Amino acid sequence: METDETDHVLPFQLQFDKPVASQVKIAEWNPEKDLLAMVTEDSKILLHRFNWQRLWTISPGRNITSLCWRPDGKAIAVGLEDGTISLHDVENGKLLRSLKSHTVAVVCLNWEEEGQLIRDDSKTSSSYEDRTSRFFPPAPRVPRMPGVVSGDTSFMEDSEDSYGELSNSSYQRFNILCSGDKDGSICFSIFGIFPIGKININRFSVPTPFMDKQTPRQISNSSIYKVSLSKDLCRLIVMCSGELNENTESRESQMVGQGMHSLVLDTSIFSKRKSELHQLAQQASNIEDLTEVIRASLSVMCKQWSDAMRTFLEKFDSLSTLIIDHALDSSPQEEFLSLLGGARTSSAVHQFLVNSLGEVGVKRVLKVICGTAKELQRIVLDHLQPAAEIIGFRMGELRGLSRWRARYHGIGLDEMLINNATEKCGMILVQIERFMRVLSTVEQQFSNFFNWLLKCIKLLMQEPSDQLLPYNSELVVIFLKFLYDQDPVKQLLEVDHDIEVDLETMQRVKELVQFGGFSDCEYLQRTLAKEFQQMEDSFKEAFLMPFTTVSRKMLYEDLLALFPLPSSSASVSMAIPMSISSYEVHFHQCMGNFLHLCSIEPSN
Amino acid sequence: MTNGAEGFDSVPSSSGSNGSGRYEIGLIYLGMMHLHFGHPKQALQVLTEAVRFSQQQSNESCLAYTLAAICNVLSEFGCSSSAGVLGTSFSPITSMDTSLSVGQQLFVLLRESLKRAESLKLKRLVASNHLALAKFDLLHAQRSLLSFGPKASMKLRTFPINVCKELRLCSNLISEFGYESSTMTTDGAFSTTWLNNLPKSMDSPLLPQENGHRNNCDAHRFFTQLSTVPKSVLQLLGSSYIMRSTAWEMYGSAPLARINSLVYTTCFADASSSSDAASVHAKLIQHLAVFRGYKEAFVALKVAEEKFLTVSKSVILLVKLQLLHERALHRGNLKLAQQVCDELGVLASSVSGVDKDLKTEASLRHARTLLAANQFSQAAAVAHSLFCMCYKFNMQVQNATVLLLLAEIHKKSGNAVLGLPYALASLSFCQSFNLDLLKASATLTLAELWLSLGSNHAKRALTLIHGALPMILGHGGLELQARAQITEAKCYLSDPSYSVFKDSEVVLDLLRQASDELQVLEYHELAAEAFYLMAHVFDKLGQLERREEAAASFKEHMMALENPQDEDDPLLNMF
Repeated sequence: METDETDHVLPFQLQFDKPVASQVKIAEWNPEKDLLAMVTEDSKILLHRFNWQRLWTISPGRNITSLCWRPDGKAIAVGLEDGTISLHDVENGKLLRSLKSHTVAVVCLNWEEEGQLIRDDSKTSSSYEDRTSRFFPPAPRVPRMPGVVSGDTSFMEDSEDSYGELSNSSYQRFNILCSGDKDGSICFSIFGIFPIGKININRFSVPTPFMDKQTPRQISNSSIYKVSLSKDLCRLIVMCSGELNENTESRESQMVGQGMHSLVLDTSIFSKRKSELHQLAQQASNIEDLTEVIRASLSVMCKQWSDAMRTFLEKFDSLSTLIIDHALDSSPQEEFLSLLGGARTSSAVHQFLVNSLGEVGVKRVLKVICGTAKELQRIVLDHLQPAAEIIGFRMGELRGLSRWRARYHGIGLDEMLINNATEKCGMILVQIERFMRVLSTVEQQFSNFFNWLLKCIKLLMQEPSDQLLPYNSELVVIFLKFLYDQDPVKQLLEVDHDIEVDLETMQRVKELVQFGGFSDCEYLQRTLAKEFQQMEDSFKEAFLMPFTTVSRKMLYEDLLALFPLPSSSASVSMAIPMSISSYEVHFHQCMGNFLHLCSIEPSN
Repeated sequence: MTNGAEGFDSVPSSSGSNGSGRYEIGLIYLGMMHLHFGHPKQALQVLTEAVRFSQQQSNESCLAYTLAAICNVLSEFGCSSSAGVLGTSFSPITSMDTSLSVGQQLFVLLRESLKRAESLKLKRLVASNHLALAKFDLLHAQRSLLSFGPKASMKLRTFPINVCKELRLCSNLISEFGYESSTMTTDGAFSTTWLNNLPKSMDSPLLPQENGHRNNCDAHRFFTQLSTVPKSVLQLLGSSYIMRSTAWEMYGSAPLARINSLVYTTCFADASSSSDAASVHAKLIQHLAVFRGYKEAFVALKVAEEKFLTVSKSVILLVKLQLLHERALHRGNLKLAQQVCDELGVLASSVSGVDKDLKTEASLRHARTLLAANQFSQAAAVAHSLFCMCYKFNMQVQNATVLLLLAEIHKKSGNAVLGLPYALASLSFCQSFNLDLLKASATLTLAELWLSLGSNHAKRALTLIHGALPMILGHGGLELQARAQITEAKCYLSDPSYSVFKDSEVVLDLLRQASDELQVLEYHELAAEAFYLMAHVFDKLGQLERREEAAASFKEHMMALENPQDEDDPLLNMF
């Protein structure tokens, strides 16, 4: 039920009690509790109890243009000037999610839940269980970036708790958030998190009411004032201003006049396919969350590793300069090799090991690199791998749904696209396993190399070296050959690299195609980061299909021209007090029907 | 598939005593060998001796390994007499209540073993114990199923989350071997790969001067060949992927089952034992047969046969027999089916001892063959004795399958009412063990049973099918999908409120999909049914030409079913 709180008495009472720095421009009552959310002119959101006890205040930093409550009263949706819609937790005002679905200011929001009235549900609804919670422990969270200030981390933890709860919509009733912007676009998102459609009322052709005229008209330069979805989700009422133009092929579009219109759109797809949309939104929004986990993990890992490697390079850079200073014609690797072979110890290496690096230096670099490697392994094992696995599972579930053509083809779930996405999930799992192996090997090689260096330093300084860990000289050779000036871990974490795969592995992958392996044999040549990018693209493509399909199914139904507006004021967003309410009317056939009442208070 | 033996290669070094632990290790190996050849009694005797001796020598780590080996014996054979054999000398077992079932004994032992391994920091053993626990959690409900009944049944569940957790804990092994292995690798272990590289870089110095233009053929070797992760670690990690794949086959997620097998074959092929590799390939071949039909599966089988020629013929042979049997049943070639079935039976009780799982499968297939031959009472008798055997050995997962088969037998023999309790019992078993795919298939059977009770149950049947459809379409094979589609179409057709003239496309689309899938499988009987229904619908709609077309296809499939010809069968001639 949408009511615009434009009672002028309340803000004045508040000012008596607790003066607010600036004028309140929007106020909305919580549908469940005695909470009033208000937006002030200086873009703050205040939440008060009935007794004017202030619960919290937040300022999103941008101009707030609209606000509405989630039907269960546990979250607030806020429309911002730049087209972003953000959801805030009712408990503490923390940002749960933000979605930039518009390009211009979001001027109205309406969050509607499916009505209580369920007619003959046994036929349409299928009891579908989200199996994920039965088979997997709670989904992994975004890994924490190291070195974040403690104040920040507590914020992150809190928000993540409600973040996870937001996607777990299996017990929620189906609901849809509609938002309208200044340019006449209306966006729909299921549970406020999964965008399912976008329409622009400027594109609808409006048949003329007169029978003799056949030319359809179009609304142009429209701006939405209010949207309201009926309780049965079948109809959307839009109040908008705009020019109603005649659209003909020969003539220039003829201006009919600037005015206020009320449009009725057919959104019966939402009520007809609500359980299908519910399941799609549930799986897809969870997949998107998990994709976010993978993205964050990758970026955290990339940053940590490059920091660690920088320490290593900084320390060992001086060896090359020392070699040049000593006028030697060789590379650091060769110097180390000859040290290992026991042939000679050049003065450059001696100076480097004993003076510039030293035992402490080696130990420090060892600690940095191996500690980072351990950290990376933790991230892979606790975040990356589980996230990818759950994504694979959820995609598999979506695949099952997409093959139920009679039900899911209508909402645009495409079998081919979902299959493709599932293949990509499999590839990323293989890639993660390969990355883990490379990482573990690199860690081991580094620790072996540094153990050897420690021993060398002890020998060079003629100190006893029997307390040190043993090393494997063969691994030292391999390290010098393959790892000293290359960084396979970093390569895998960056997008623009080609990984060369040896023939044997290629052959194995090709052979696997016969056994039902991935038909794309080249995937091992991509890096982990690149593979992730492709996976993300395939998801986007797969989820865009329902978006466009559903958008196309929202049709024009009726238009009522309300009153003309002075054309000068069209560009200026002016406040016209109005409200839309829908009422349920029972006819004789015991069929519920909804009627809309629009009330307008022409103030100017 | 996964036994505790993988970790044993590290016993010598991790026990820390050189030479003194040899006798115990020898005993453990002997015990494992006995187990491998199917002599659980002797294995337990030997392991008891190992326990005694390790206790005498206070060789803690060896004791932990022995415990793991005993767990392995118990889980493989579930000897009820184990407590009697071990009871005298081993504290963890003597402290156990003798009234505990084998499953509970095993659980206690596994926990104990894990605890010991953790306290001794035997990382491989810890991982292997996690794997064993995952396997236990996969197959056992947390409480004994002896109190199975309508009220208790809801509480008795397996907990898939635990399986997932144990598997993840097992994967942690890869981050833990880091420091130890530089000492463990014997010098020269890498020289083979090293030498392989050498010929190519002979002409250039070992380390080329121009560092910027280092040829990539060196660099890429690092990714694949120079992995220094020890083989025993890789084998354990690989086993965890096989376990994942098996778990998903049971829980019902076809994409994840396939993907995990693929991860194994792509990443662990170089380190895996050939029997593991063969069993993963067998999984992939079965997956192919179920989802893409026999033609592709047989091509893959041919490749696999060449690949695993020498080593573990039995796994591949088993898959071959399974595929041949399925296909013969579908094509209606019952003589061949019976022949293959007998061969399976021989395989089940070979020289190396009786394989219970294989024996179960053989008699399951025997019952299905009898069912296909319409010998209902014989089929039911075989299924009943099989149920008794499964019950005796606590093989609950197989029980669900057998119950479903009994329901099918009653359905086909026309006693739908008798079939209902079996289908429901199967359903509740599936629910307890989270066997979602089997549950979907049981739901389908239930719907078919309701439908055969009369058209006034059509709506109920349709609701049942719709509830199971996401599962069936997403994770079920071609046969299951086609069956579901045909049954759904039949529900519509027998529903009095449905009119063919108004919405014929719903039914026709279903039948078309089903007949496509069945033609891939060469499942003549069901395909004929699909075409029969199709012809009926076209007849009602008055589309005579298309009716004739469907009727012709129907006739074709019936003819093929009546006289199966295997002489000119290209797939059979491959072998």
